[in-house]
Amino acid sequence: MSNDTETVAGDRDPEETRKMVRERYGTIATDGQDCCGDAGSDVADDGGCCDGTEDATGSERLGYDTDDIASIADGADLGLGCGNPTAFAEMAPGETVLDLGSGAGFDCFLAAQEVCPDGRVIGVDMTPEMVSKARENVAKNDADNVEFRLGEISHLPVADETVDVVISNCVVNLAPKKQLVFEDAYRVLRSGGRVAISDVVQTAPFPDDVRMDPDSLTGCVAGASTVADIEAMLDSAGFEAIDIAPKDESTEFISDWDADRDLGDYLVSATIEARKPPRDP
Amino acid sequence: MKEDLMDIICCPLDKHDLDLEVDERDDGEILSGTLVCTECGESYPIEDGIPNLLPPDMRDEAPA
Repeated sequence: MSNDTETVAGDRDPEETRKMVRERYGTIATDGQDCCGDAGSDVADDGGCCDGTEDATGSERLGYDTDDIASIADGADLGLGCGNPTAFAEMAPGETVLDLGSGAGFDCFLAAQEVCPDGRVIGVDMTPEMVSKARENVAKNDADNVEFRLGEISHLPVADETVDVVISNCVVNLAPKKQLVFEDAYRVLRSGGRVAISDVVQTAPFPDDVRMDPDSLTGCVAGASTVADIEAMLDSAGFEAIDIAPKDESTEFISDWDADRDLGDYLVSATIEARKPPRDP
Repeated sequence: MKEDLMDIICCPLDKHDLDLEVDERDDGEILSGTLVCTECGESYPIEDGIPNLLPPDMRDEAPA
């Protein structure tokens, strides 16, 4: 599937894929229930991305430190990520940060602490229930410099060259048209701006039952691309200094995403970094 | 939505600027209104302080 960015897991229609993802994450926002791995009964319930509960131990495994977790009011950390982009985005005061798939807002609120007082953070999410929840969390965290909007990450409602850093946490894999996501990220970034994304990458071909399982797609598994494919998409979008680093230790929590099989055989969480070339002097 | 967001917001379809029509405001925050694309004329609602800038075909299928 090298450059075929139109192909989604199980060759599903992109609209159908988006609908499934929105339904699943709408339910999580409302009920705080399962996200990754098989929805429902057989999900391991001991933390990590899958259980959708506010679990400090799970978040520490993803790379958040205890002080980060404690600094944000309850309700924003749904434990749905697969890393911590705010740890390697190297944000500076005054910068504008855009979070693709901001969920209940946890990473946005952490980013806001880094860019305050003059910077700002914009979270985009396509799930109305998530954006509502995030907006409630703005008040709880007294986060004046964070704004959320309903939007779709391959059709960003963000003006050209207005953003310094694009972050995202375990979301791009859910997008049926990843090339468009990277192209739109490139468009909104200022020259010299960068992406700092945590996401799952595929390390081995999925068995058919994983590939075709709708829950596997919406659960951040079957939509994952390979490192080579992501590199090719970023390069094609115009990015330079592309650095995709799989985190071998992540297989520990990924293995908990499914009780029936070890997803660590096929998936690893990676940091994905790239830069929009600086303008010529 | 804060009004100073206007300089960074755009139409998700053609990326042109949006005009803001305010229905309800609370301090600097716009609680309800409409954003209208200056190019294609598509309008995007602001409800409960949240601008809905989904592409129109996704807005319509949004679960209630």
